[in-house]
Amino acid sequence: MPAPDAAERLLNLLIALTHARVRMTRAEIRATVAGYDPIDDRDDPETARKRTVAFERMFERDKEDLRRLGVPLRTVTDATHGDEIGYVIDAGDATMPPITLSAVERAVVAVAADYWQNAALGTDARRALIKITSSAARVEDETVHLAARSTVGVDAAPALAQAIADGQAVRFTYTSATSGKAERTVEPWRLVVRGGPLYLVGLDRDRGEPRTYRLSRIEGAVTAVGDRGAFVAPSGLAGIHLEAAVPTLTARIGLRAESGHAIRRRGRFLRSEGEWDIYDVSYCDTEYLRDEILGLAGAARVVSPETLAEAVVAHARAALEVAHA
Amino acid sequence: MPEPAVPRLTRLLGIVTQLEEHGEASFDDLARHFGVSREVIKDDIDTLWVSGLPGYGTTDLLDFDGYAYEEGIARLVESLGIRQIRLAPAEAVALMGALGSIVASGVASTAAEGALDALRDAVKGAMAVTVVGASTTDQAAVQALREGIETSRAVVVTYIDARDRRTERVIEPHRLVALDGIGYVECFCRRAGDYRTLRLDRLEGAKETDEPQAAPRRASEGFALEPQYEAEVMIDLAGRWAFEDLPGVELEETPDGVVARFGVANPQVIVARLLAVGPHLKKVGPADLRAQLAEAAEAVLASASIPGKDKA
Repeated sequence: MPAPDAAERLLNLLIALTHARVRMTRAEIRATVAGYDPIDDRDDPETARKRTVAFERMFERDKEDLRRLGVPLRTVTDATHGDEIGYVIDAGDATMPPITLSAVERAVVAVAADYWQNAALGTDARRALIKITSSAARVEDETVHLAARSTVGVDAAPALAQAIADGQAVRFTYTSATSGKAERTVEPWRLVVRGGPLYLVGLDRDRGEPRTYRLSRIEGAVTAVGDRGAFVAPSGLAGIHLEAAVPTLTARIGLRAESGHAIRRRGRFLRSEGEWDIYDVSYCDTEYLRDEILGLAGAARVVSPETLAEAVVAHARAALEVAHA
Repeated sequence: MPEPAVPRLTRLLGIVTQLEEHGEASFDDLARHFGVSREVIKDDIDTLWVSGLPGYGTTDLLDFDGYAYEEGIARLVESLGIRQIRLAPAEAVALMGALGSIVASGVASTAAEGALDALRDAVKGAMAVTVVGASTTDQAAVQALREGIETSRAVVVTYIDARDRRTERVIEPHRLVALDGIGYVECFCRRAGDYRTLRLDRLEGAKETDEPQAAPRRASEGFALEPQYEAEVMIDLAGRWAFEDLPGVELEETPDGVVARFGVANPQVIVARLLAVGPHLKKVGPADLRAQLAEAAEAVLASASIPGKDKA
């Protein structure tokens, strides 16, 4: 019989551990589950050692694959067996509950499964789709005139999602605009999708404060550190400012006819001065309003405050210098 | 290269679950349902048939009806109680983050929200992902577009363009698209006489007409936000954020600064970003983009220097 492939071995391991009466030790798994290389008493010590190392490596990888698949592999120690670790799978915990989706809902889920394109999350999304449609009736999908795509970096997301579920701290290299590139150790609480980018919210251990990280600024691998279940994430997102703060400042802005509608909607009309409509608009973030006015490319001007008007001019001058270089 | 183990195992468990839930199925039907070839399904059944409990005697294995198998039909006789596995943390984040993002973009009908609710119920415990809306859309306008797409009618829309000018145009909507959490409608714009991609959060209203659509729908699989040209911009580290979420951007850190390479689909949007990071800019290319940037910067300065400022 040819050597069974990895999927076949994983399936046999899954079946064996689901049906194990109490638990299976590594030795039992190696000796009885199809696909593993059992101990051969005829081996010389060196060959036996090499084959044991190979088995251990394969078994560790299989455990990791099952974990990635969402199978809760429970370890059971038993004093009567010399504290040797055994494994078991609780079938009830592992099973996908039935999901009922209409044909249109299923079509939308299929669109969502393609959202991440080839990024790391894409593989996970497509696997999720297979899982969800496993128990669904075999009918033709509805046509939905809908497509979705993400182009941002989310490579760190699968490792972070796993660490959040495990309550395990993570370490990664992060580039920030203010403090440059540095190693961060974080207790991950939650991933947040806002528009395109993904963010991680968590406790920065070195700073002792909650922080928000953009996933596209995480460089290289995310490493889990320390024990699982080391912390409990707060249920809300208290103290995290992802939403805009309350506007407290007021600017007076001139807008040309038929332009600046976003500002018009938020602001209060005062009067017209020649070709300019003058509005008062409340804001909380000077940089946001500055960028909005720059984006209007001359269709808006700042009447007051002076600091905002100066910021707009300084940015335009700097850009012009580079454009003329 | 053989198929990776994890996706294959997921499908193997899926096949058993499907057969348990809905009874026997032809290899062809299973192939369609799981989006693979008939040969792959046949291999999967062969694999399942020899898998089972340690001992692997005839009563320890998953079992299929041999006669049905000869006819190309999978009829499960013994499942050993195995079923599909619940969503893993990364899988739940991937699918629900995507669905949530589509809902937040405003392109999805109530079906997406229904699916999201059904999934939320199925995922045990707290979700590891939260979706925050990045734009607001007029859902009545989007519904009018959706009906226009389904009935192949033209729609009159009020649209605020990237320079914030309000226009009324007749469009022939073809498809709704979510790109990085922002919703768009791909359409033929009669005013421009060409195909356009309009942002949904810039629609101020839409009304269906009785006029049938005339322009052919493009068969393109891709998105209509196709780049007109490639740009290369160098900025210092503090300006990096402005380029990170551009579609398809490549960022490279060099000793002189961060180099961002990206396709320019809408020059006005890119010029606005460049102005926003003006003090951090080091180099801008190509010459077209430099000219557009210079024009916009000069316009900002001309408007700013108008005398007779009134002090608030």
